[in-house]
Amino acid sequence: MVAGTPQPPASLPPPRTEVGALGWAKHNLFSSQFNSALTVVFGIAIAAALWFGLKWVLVDANWTVIVRLGGRFIIGQYNTEAACAGQNCFWRPQASLLLIAALMGMAWGVVGAGVMRQIALVIGVGAAAFALLPYSMDTMGMDVRLLLAANLPALALGWALGRYTPLGTVRNIPILGVVIFLLTLVLLRGVPGVSLLQGVPGVSLLQPVRVIYWGGLMLNLILAVGGIAVSLPIGIALALGRRSSLPVVKTVCVVFIEVFRGVPLITLLFMSQTLVPLAFPEDFPQNSLFRAGVVITLFSAAYMAENIRGGLQALHPGQVEAARALGLAGWQTTMFIELPQAIRNVIPAIVGQFIGLFKDTSLVYIIGMLDIVEIGRAFILGNVEYRASARELFVFVAVVFWIFTYSMSYVSGRIEEHMGVGRR
Amino acid sequence: MTENGTEEGAAEDIIICRGVNKWFGNFHVLKDVSTTVRQGEKIVIVGPSGSGKSTFIRTINRLEEHQSGDIIVDGIELTEDVRNIDAIRSEVGMVFQQFNLFPHLTVMQNITLAPMKVRHWSRSVAEEAGLELLTRVGIPEQAEKYPIELSGGQQQRVAIARALAMQPRIMLFDEPTSALDPEMINEVLDAMRELANSGMTMLIVTHEIGFAREVADRIIMMDEGRIVEESSANDFFDNPKSERTKLFLSQIL
Repeated sequence: MVAGTPQPPASLPPPRTEVGALGWAKHNLFSSQFNSALTVVFGIAIAAALWFGLKWVLVDANWTVIVRLGGRFIIGQYNTEAACAGQNCFWRPQASLLLIAALMGMAWGVVGAGVMRQIALVIGVGAAAFALLPYSMDTMGMDVRLLLAANLPALALGWALGRYTPLGTVRNIPILGVVIFLLTLVLLRGVPGVSLLQGVPGVSLLQPVRVIYWGGLMLNLILAVGGIAVSLPIGIALALGRRSSLPVVKTVCVVFIEVFRGVPLITLLFMSQTLVPLAFPEDFPQNSLFRAGVVITLFSAAYMAENIRGGLQALHPGQVEAARALGLAGWQTTMFIELPQAIRNVIPAIVGQFIGLFKDTSLVYIIGMLDIVEIGRAFILGNVEYRASARELFVFVAVVFWIFTYSMSYVSGRIEEHMGVGRR
Repeated sequence: MTENGTEEGAAEDIIICRGVNKWFGNFHVLKDVSTTVRQGEKIVIVGPSGSGKSTFIRTINRLEEHQSGDIIVDGIELTEDVRNIDAIRSEVGMVFQQFNLFPHLTVMQNITLAPMKVRHWSRSVAEEAGLELLTRVGIPEQAEKYPIELSGGQQQRVAIARALAMQPRIMLFDEPTSALDPEMINEVLDAMRELANSGMTMLIVTHEIGFAREVADRIIMMDEGRIVEESSANDFFDNPKSERTKLFLSQIL
């Protein structure tokens, strides 16, 4: 450096009007006359919406229909006398919830702090908080409350198992997830009793409950979780099949995708009740829930396949060349190089598909199943005194759906962050 | 012919190309290309864009299929047989113009993937070898980073280490410095120089004429899909025979 060259002045703090709340408002709300006008107009609109919205929620609305339906929203008619004659079945969905809380606790124990801990805590604490609902003891007994509160110890037990026992490996979590999902289905469905004497019906501790009585949020969640878990691998297989160089494989996949994408889900659900039985042996045990689940899953898989194919096509051909040049076989290139990148790139689309699937589970009402929407609708149709409460009912159901879909969106955002999507 | 060749004793012909032809659709991109590379030789391939240099070295590990003629690599003939192709690919390392690192894997994972999946090395063995290679190309401290966090020169050195991890007998370089900022070219050329001194057989497509002169045992000049001149580095630069080479050299020197 030449001697005597003036040093650049040291950095000074920006003027006060450029920083803090004042600076932010100046830049974002009042940067020009037009923007100032927009700010005022929208400010008034938002304030009015908040005022009238809150006034309706807190003062005008009559929420007794929600209180009255209570547990029906969650398990439908599952614990009614018709569903479970002579036995008390309320504990079976609750035991399933305990298993899920334990699994989430275990996943938290294995993975450590992060989004998994948030999921586990929300499920465990949320379920336990339901034990404190201000219902009378006649409506919501101590047994129900204790089983709900037990979600916290279940969570802790799962966490300890995941953290301190050899059971807790990353590989075990999805395996246990499948096991617990199937266990939940068995627990809810029950097993037929073994008849000891001819003519005397057998007694079963898990009396079968026909799926037509399964309902509420439980039904939506079972269909959504099963659908998500199965449609992703099927979608991946279809996407790979569609790119196959074997004409037969390719044609089959293209036809499958185009057929399932091309027909409305409602039509497919109607058709499922008559067509799915044809696809299985006659004595294959099936029911309307199973048939609906198959159709929703395949419908979602067709969309999933196209999402994933989009991700595969976005990959630079150099990735495959580099992998092949290293001597990786074709399937290894797909498994270790193409799919991980393709899926990562289309996580937003995949999660969008999951959210769509979750919302679409409501459509099972058309084959006579009482999901969370339909159980409420059926209730106000059948009880004239609650006719006027339709608004409250549907707002409530919408909020419930939104909580779940937003959670999915939030979790996917966190996962993307963790995987560095868009950065690498 | 070269010192390196004679030092190796009975240097074997590690790559033999006889009358190789290739078309992209109707475009005749390689025309009767024949040459022989002996073990330990460093061949630099030069020529104008579109002359088929890249396509030629890509036929050697079958990233491009040739339609007629024979290519024999390390005693294995390249045919439709997938086992032959896989066998050759794990003997032939390749470095690309665009690096082609796997962005979802760390530097170390980029290097250990193929040895673990193809050679079935254990993770610890592969990582030990990986660290050794990273040290060799001068960036052992970058092992746990992702490719995007590295400079272009560092990425290309990782790509060299990744190719070497399979312990290839031949290395192909397809314009390894063409996508780099000028100040990063030398660090990659240094890594290649070091590799050349270790006795590796190398085929290099490059526009770095100084590097070619310094490292090459032999230079192949290609134009319009043909080999128009093939001679030792000194002869090539000081005493070019074909008019096409003279024109080419006059444009780049």
